[in-house]
Amino acid sequence: MSGNTLLLLPVILPFIAGIIIGFMKNEKQRNRMVFVTLAVELALVAYFMMAEGTLTVWHMTNRLSIAYHIDGIAKFFACVITIIWFLAAIFSMEYMKHEHKPARFFMYYVMSLSALVSLCFSANMMTMYLSYEFMTLLTFPLVIHTQEPQAVRAGMKYLGYSIFGAGLGLFGFFFLNTYCITTTFEPGGTLNFALVAGNEMLLLFVFFLMAVGFGCKAGMFPLHAWLPTAHPVAPSPASAVLSGIITKGGVICIIRVTFYLFGADFIRGSWAQTALLSLTLITIFMGSMLAYKEKILKKRLAYSTVSQVSYVLFGLMLLTPVGFAGALLQVAFHAMAKNILFLSAGAIIYKKGTTLVNQLRGIGKEMPIVMWCFTIASLSLVGIPPTGGFISKWFLAQGALSSSLGTFAVVGVAILMVSALLTAGYLLSIVTNGFFPGNDFNYESLEKKEPNYLMTIPLVILSVAVVLLGIFPASLETFIISISGVIF
Amino acid sequence: MDFGIILPLLVFFPMVGAILVYLIGRKNKEARNNLACVVTFLVLLGAVLLFGKHASFTIPGFCGLGLHFDGDELRVVMAILTSFIWFMTTVFSKEYFALYRNRNRYYFFLLMTLGATLGVFLSADLYTTFIFFEIMSFTSFVLVIHDESEAAIRAAHTYLGIAVIGGLITLTGLFMMYHMAGTLNIDALAEFVASQEEKKAIYAVGVLILVGFGAKAGLFPLHVWLPEAHPVAPAPASALLSCILTKSGVYGMLVLSCKLFLHDANWGNLILILGVITMVLGAVLAVFSIDLKRTLACSSLSQIGFIAVAIGMQGLLGSHNALAAGGTILHLVNHSLLKLVLFMSAGVVYMNLHRLHLNEIRGWGKDKPLLKFVFLMGVLGITGIPFWNGYISKTLIHESIVEYIEILHHAGQATTYMQTVEWLFLFSGGLTLAYMTKIFVAVFVETNPYPGNAAHHNEGPYMNRLSAIILVVCAVILPLLGALPQFTGEKIAEASYHFMGAHGPEHAVHYFAWVNLKGAVLSVVIGALVYFLFIRKVLMEKDDNGNMVYVDRWPKGLNLENKIYRPVLLSFLPFAGSLLARFVSTLTDGFVAVLRMLVFNDDSGRVVPPEDRYFSAYTDFDDKKVVYGEGFAKSLLMIGVGLAVAMLYILL
Repeated sequence: MSGNTLLLLPVILPFIAGIIIGFMKNEKQRNRMVFVTLAVELALVAYFMMAEGTLTVWHMTNRLSIAYHIDGIAKFFACVITIIWFLAAIFSMEYMKHEHKPARFFMYYVMSLSALVSLCFSANMMTMYLSYEFMTLLTFPLVIHTQEPQAVRAGMKYLGYSIFGAGLGLFGFFFLNTYCITTTFEPGGTLNFALVAGNEMLLLFVFFLMAVGFGCKAGMFPLHAWLPTAHPVAPSPASAVLSGIITKGGVICIIRVTFYLFGADFIRGSWAQTALLSLTLITIFMGSMLAYKEKILKKRLAYSTVSQVSYVLFGLMLLTPVGFAGALLQVAFHAMAKNILFLSAGAIIYKKGTTLVNQLRGIGKEMPIVMWCFTIASLSLVGIPPTGGFISKWFLAQGALSSSLGTFAVVGVAILMVSALLTAGYLLSIVTNGFFPGNDFNYESLEKKEPNYLMTIPLVILSVAVVLLGIFPASLETFIISISGVIF
Repeated sequence: MDFGIILPLLVFFPMVGAILVYLIGRKNKEARNNLACVVTFLVLLGAVLLFGKHASFTIPGFCGLGLHFDGDELRVVMAILTSFIWFMTTVFSKEYFALYRNRNRYYFFLLMTLGATLGVFLSADLYTTFIFFEIMSFTSFVLVIHDESEAAIRAAHTYLGIAVIGGLITLTGLFMMYHMAGTLNIDALAEFVASQEEKKAIYAVGVLILVGFGAKAGLFPLHVWLPEAHPVAPAPASALLSCILTKSGVYGMLVLSCKLFLHDANWGNLILILGVITMVLGAVLAVFSIDLKRTLACSSLSQIGFIAVAIGMQGLLGSHNALAAGGTILHLVNHSLLKLVLFMSAGVVYMNLHRLHLNEIRGWGKDKPLLKFVFLMGVLGITGIPFWNGYISKTLIHESIVEYIEILHHAGQATTYMQTVEWLFLFSGGLTLAYMTKIFVAVFVETNPYPGNAAHHNEGPYMNRLSAIILVVCAVILPLLGALPQFTGEKIAEASYHFMGAHGPEHAVHYFAWVNLKGAVLSVVIGALVYFLFIRKVLMEKDDNGNMVYVDRWPKGLNLENKIYRPVLLSFLPFAGSLLARFVSTLTDGFVAVLRMLVFNDDSGRVVPPEDRYFSAYTDFDDKKVVYGEGFAKSLLMIGVGLAVAMLYILL
């Protein structure tokens, strides 16, 4: 082991704490433990926001090692992930009261964070691949938590798709091990151009397969099908982080592969770029369209994730600094908004037990705080100023237009807009039905069903953040531009 | 003293006020109503303070690109107009809403909308405009849907749908504009567009930006929400929608036409054509309407058409466009003031009767001289009778058309096209007279043959003193503006020339000379003919008891919204899109299913994976209904393990 040993701490802490949590029977103690663990984790990540550092844990061979490294991307994702993980955990403490085996849930919930942080901090392909697989395996119990046949089947589908996707990534890894100078991530790529010469086609194909493989976690067509099946069956806080955060795990891998191994210059202008852009655009449209038609609230939100995370991938595949900035902004704002939405859906299920969209008439009168948060998140996903979603959409569109893709860029912007319209259709209709039930609505039968503070506080914090960061995005923008400055 | 700081205050103070009003409203309703009035009054004061100061203000980094406000004359005129009308309607709301539910919500969104609207009018760059434009669309949606009747919900959804679609299309245009010009500052954009030789792309972008603003203004073909939404909103809100919110769309059109495409004949022509269609269409719809507020809403549509015609004429006339520019701003101001009076009067009717159908409210105002006087002022103003304000602005617009015909004539070009425009203009003016006479006669002159439902509300005064004062004040302004144009209207027009890139007219306009009166007389004649020959003969019929009643003769099939927009946008496109999406979405699962049939087919006898009771934990479940079950997932798992082994082999 060489380097800053402290780096291991945020990875190991949730893992060990998670195992302990699994054996804690007392609910109060367990919740306290979860809270403390995640708070400490948050503090550690906050500490590493200021620090730089590298740590090699274990040299497997002289080319392969388990190593951690902190750079801009790592900081950004670790920060987003831990904050939201923490907030969703607070929500779960109340929500899990009506689910069975809360200890098991929290065990895997906390342990998953270790895989995610490890994924963010990983310094090379080997570490990233292992973390990625761990992430899949550790979140699997969250998906099948209810143990109903439907959930188990969905879980198996999740596992199947994820492992197949990871397999594609591993397949690419074999090639990269040969064609790259090193598989340690370097901004701008590490391709050994002496070897690459003459094999460009092969490597582009490898890149394409890797992107599709890791895109599986991000719900990109063609490996998206697990997502709308698996997310809705999990308990709501788990769906929230699966949709908001775990999908971003795929995004991290794609960023690392694209910008830190192959390098943007190698891919720019190739067929692989066009093909991937097309796939993301297809996904964006498909996701929104199916969400628009979906009747089950959580499933609708899952389809929405399919669409929204592909905004991120679209931004990345533009291979322009502005597009990249748009993609990262979208990562942050989608993570927040989608968590709000799923947690709100969870609050509704917890308090009312309704799961269908058309049962939500007048819900805004019963749970005003929850539905206000839901509204803000919806507006952000549609991209209405002054919420954060507007900023990310602005950057994505400018990124598309400033790339050298010509008409393709215009088509891209058009599809973003169509998708935004559909998003308005499938989210705002819930809001308007919820707040404006019509004058034949029976106000006498109305009772306040607002959940307690454990549920509302995370929602309110996230909603305020979505609006405030939308109004004052300067610090976030500066940070992201400093990251893209290193890459491009 | 630096007046710049007032600009953001005008925008954000009402928003903060909205929150205060909401919080106070939970405890004390009376205090809330008064506070809302105070807030709007302070805003009005602030706006008046700004006049002639030419202040500007920037908030860097707000929402990314920052907010830029500018307080030049036209913008301040708009701000004063907005806050004045807002103040009046807020005071009027007190009585109107006395029996309503959800009043806290109403006041909250009322003030939010005020802030957003002022943000639109005071914006110095399109980014700022757009941000507040979107906020305004959403907050005003709550005002439209406030009644929550079935019709209100439907109309509000149409409103929101068109606002969102228009907003997104405008946003697309702004993306492209920003990409091309690198700025959205309105003055900088004007320079940029002027410096470009090749304008095709810019025209396209301009049209995209126009869509959102045009939709808000009610320009054809995106006008469909307007005649639906204005009547169903509570009267103070309909007044605001008609008077101010449509004007925010007009403001956007002005920015495009007077800044980006200044003196551009092609652009002017486009606006002119849309304007003419809207003008005629609105007037015709209003003639057919048998609902008091719907008539007024259609009338708004038509008057917006007049304004658009004036804007179009500015483009066509090029640098000699003072008449058209003056006509634009004056008609804008006049229409706002007129509709304020008319909608509030309609509100008084509704407040007492809870009905708006002409046959039901007929004759209700016969013995109410005050209301009759107020309404009459509005009628005379909007129909363009000399000595009332509508006449001044209509004359200016008419003059600008005549002037252009003369220019064409001198240049030896064909004038048929412009003469048609002139005739349609006068014809619409005539229809205005016809439909306004129709509702005035129905409510204030005729006797109701079935007074049953109108009678029982007659105990006590039909409105309180405060509302009466508000109405009278608003009504008296109208003839004042009309009789003394030199001291009122022309000042406003002159103040706005700077924004519109116009220079003062070469000679003073003699409003009351025969040349100009001729147009009004022609319109009156047309109007009288239409009223007596068409409305009274065709649009009224004898019912079973032999009484003449108003009937709706508008063919049901002729409805753009119900016949085209809704079916296409809500049924056809989603159907086609989801069919496609479902097909694409199931490709992977389908592929897996096919593989499962071919590779894991128990019958084929080729590859039969042995079921391992001890290893597979979930074999008990019935998996007939799913695309694939555990078998395939497990196999994938094995593939993964295999790959992992392969990796280890390579590593070691």
